Amino acid sequence: MLLSTPAYFTFLIAIFFAYWLVARFRLAGLAVIVFANYFFYARWDLVYLAVIPVASSCDFLIGKALAAAERPGVRRALVTLSIALNIGLIASVKYMPGLPWILPLGLSFYAFQSLTYTIDIYRRDAEPAESYLAYLASASFFPTTLAGPITRISTLLPQWSKRELLSPQDSGKAFFLIGLGLLKKFLIADYLAENLVNRVFDLPNLYSGTEVLLGVYGYALQLYYDFSGYTDIAIGSALLLGIKLPINFNRPYTAQNIADFWRRWHISFSNWLRDYVYFSLPGLRSRWKIFTYANLVITMAIGGLWHGANWTFLIWGLWHGTGLAAQRWWQVLRGNPKPSANFAIHFLKGLVTFHFVLIGWIFFRAANIATAREILTQIGSGTVSFANVAPGFLLVLGIAVIAHYLPKSWYDGSLRLYSASPFYAQAAAMALLIVAIQYIGATGAVPFIYNKF
Amino acid sequence: MLPKKSSLVIITFGILILLLQWTKLARPFVVDAALDFRPRPSAIPEEPLRARPQFRSQNKIVIVPQDPTGPNLIDPHGALKVFYQALWRTEAKQPGAVTRILHYGDSPVTADSITADARSLLQEHFGDAGHGFILIAKPWAWYGHRGVDVHGGGWHIEAASQSRARDGFHGLGGVSFQGGTGASSQFVLHKDHVRIEVKYMRQPGGGTLAVEAGESTIGKIDTDGPDKQPAFQMFDLPNGAREINLTVERGPVRIFGVSFERDGPGVIYNSLGLNGGQVQMALRFFEKAQWTAELQHEQPDLVIVNYGTNESLYADYIERYYPGELRELLRRIKNAVPKASLLVMSPMDRGERNSSGQITTPPTLPRLVEIQRQIAEETGCAFFNTFQAMGGEGTMARWYENQPRLVSADFMHPLPAGAKKVGVLLDQALESGFRQFKIKQEQRLAEHTPSKGTDQ
Repeated sequence: MLLSTPAYFTFLIAIFFAYWLVARFRLAGLAVIVFANYFFYARWDLVYLAVIPVASSCDFLIGKALAAAERPGVRRALVTLSIALNIGLIASVKYMPGLPWILPLGLSFYAFQSLTYTIDIYRRDAEPAESYLAYLASASFFPTTLAGPITRISTLLPQWSKRELLSPQDSGKAFFLIGLGLLKKFLIADYLAENLVNRVFDLPNLYSGTEVLLGVYGYALQLYYDFSGYTDIAIGSALLLGIKLPINFNRPYTAQNIADFWRRWHISFSNWLRDYVYFSLPGLRSRWKIFTYANLVITMAIGGLWHGANWTFLIWGLWHGTGLAAQRWWQVLRGNPKPSANFAIHFLKGLVTFHFVLIGWIFFRAANIATAREILTQIGSGTVSFANVAPGFLLVLGIAVIAHYLPKSWYDGSLRLYSASPFYAQAAAMALLIVAIQYIGATGAVPFIYNKF
Repeated sequence: MLPKKSSLVIITFGILILLLQWTKLARPFVVDAALDFRPRPSAIPEEPLRARPQFRSQNKIVIVPQDPTGPNLIDPHGALKVFYQALWRTEAKQPGAVTRILHYGDSPVTADSITADARSLLQEHFGDAGHGFILIAKPWAWYGHRGVDVHGGGWHIEAASQSRARDGFHGLGGVSFQGGTGASSQFVLHKDHVRIEVKYMRQPGGGTLAVEAGESTIGKIDTDGPDKQPAFQMFDLPNGAREINLTVERGPVRIFGVSFERDGPGVIYNSLGLNGGQVQMALRFFEKAQWTAELQHEQPDLVIVNYGTNESLYADYIERYYPGELRELLRRIKNAVPKASLLVMSPMDRGERNSSGQITTPPTLPRLVEIQRQIAEETGCAFFNTFQAMGGEGTMARWYENQPRLVSADFMHPLPAGAKKVGVLLDQALESGFRQFKIKQEQRLAEHTPSKGTDQ
């Protein structure tokens, strides 16, 4: 059940009414959420009904034991057990194709979220959950199951205790985000993918250099609109149930350097990598700066390999890791200069950063190294033809670029306007959007790119 | 207690959507899938589906649709007899028994897709007599052959399907390369070969071409001649030579391709693909006498005509002109190489997104395939129904949904795994036909051979 399908929204509406009808009874409300979580997993495969509750119960018990244990050796053993359990879960569905128990849904986001719980308790940054039901509701919270945002369980748990009715502002924001997510997914991301991007990345040699370059630009925007569209729907869905999830994107292609990019792109993932991988690597407090640079590269290489056991993802991770290390080295050498007020310099830095990221996306999207090389060769060939670029593609690409660079105040103003609108106007806007998607998008529900990771 | 405003938004939205569906302004939504717990079926069925083309005949060609459960290789007139006999001699390892196949096709064949797999299977089973034909540079980045790397520079390239040579001289492979002094090509062979044949144009004022194997020059070709005509020159390759270079020492030189051969017996499978290739292109832009000379020089045992994908875009053309043009092309090939077997190979399935977002086969495609089948039968050619063999209508939709995908996002060009499927299907059909031919021949021989007892 993808977050962009009518089936999902039917499910969400049913859960919305069921939850709010009983929400004042805390246990009943949590029971509805736990039921919804497991129903959501079962729709992918019934085997999850065995896997997820067992894994969650293990982590819950490990959390309790961690809180109770004082001896460092025991605590280390417990947290190692939790890490092994969750990494094993990812590995079993992601890196061992061909096994009979291969599952349709990657459990990376579930595992990452669960690890925040036990590692935070181990580091004494968080307390264990008092309620088993609240833990189950948080660990496998259905809007975050497919692709995040990765939310620390310690930030979810208190939200189940605070039972306030959904405010009209939050309600408006939830609908606005869901609508915006659908618009991003269907009218921009899927359109770009179907009309050039997928073709270019499948068989780049069939296209001219300019077409391939446009395809790569298209992919950069497709990935952003697809993933941020998914995130908007997830955040909106959670908000409808009164739960606030962290933001995941902040206009990433306006980044001024590569570190800035990672503060704006898949924020929950980069924070997770920083907090749970980078800070865990040895040598961070060493006087040898080389450890800092090496750890950045290693962290990003792990981040790359998490996307799949493939050379292309490793190269993508190393590319970003090297970029981050080089930037850190430059900062150490030259200090941290103030952001330039000069528009030309600002623009140039943004352009360079965007193209650095773009080269990484070629490896990220290409099926293998040979295809990535073919894409780069085709772009380098300088051949010019636009025979395979439809005007509609250029129009949507243009809209996608402009929408990305619009001032944030425009977004905030639209959100305020929508939230302040009467209920019938909000409903009418949503209905209008659905019809537009049916007429313009017309591609059915293509899976979100990040569902597979 | 329910949040008032959000509940009202949801209820109003639901009513609006129902109204829109009732007034047919919105399409129905599939919501019962929310309760569907059945395991997802595999995108590719175990057994390929059979095509069931449905259409009304619109004019002269009255089509009786092919039995969808029937064979994919149809040869009621025994058109493949010459090919099977050659293959039999090759299989029997008769000295010098080389079976030669020419496979004309469009963009998938340009990348040696399908043909590379068919070639490797046939060569594995009957012997490898060499890679065969290859162009001397890449007219399209997509061009490439499995087993030979080619790089060329300094050539003015004219492909029959695109810029076209004015005189229509496009050689065997449909592409003409004109080079001034310094133009060059390099071939890197993945296997040892013993000969290279250069296919070029002899013409008044023609220049000189050097052929080198590694560091040493193995021959030179003076392309000067009293009149314009296709010419061929063979050179032996030194033992173990894998890197072959062609260099124009004095321009102009015009070349159509080269061919690499090994000592037989075995199969040579020439892949002759052109981006945008179609029947009309071969008819109009392959100069007749020159192409005839090229075909005759090859002495093929089998010629495969594998066009149709590009034509399938044009419904009116298919109905009005395609049957006549296909007939004429087959006649032209038959006249050029009357002894060769001739096989019409249908295009693969092709997908298009309809207004509901589903990937479907355009109705023109099964229509074109049926016309091909009928024309093949009428002209005494064999017919291989690729479309039906790969699963018929909706195959590209299933291939696109399959994990890993088997077709590109244009629902037309197969990815390597998809191309391999088609190559294997073609090989299986040809080899199965050959086995049946052999059995029949042996039975006939047994019937006409007196037994030993009678002799005594």
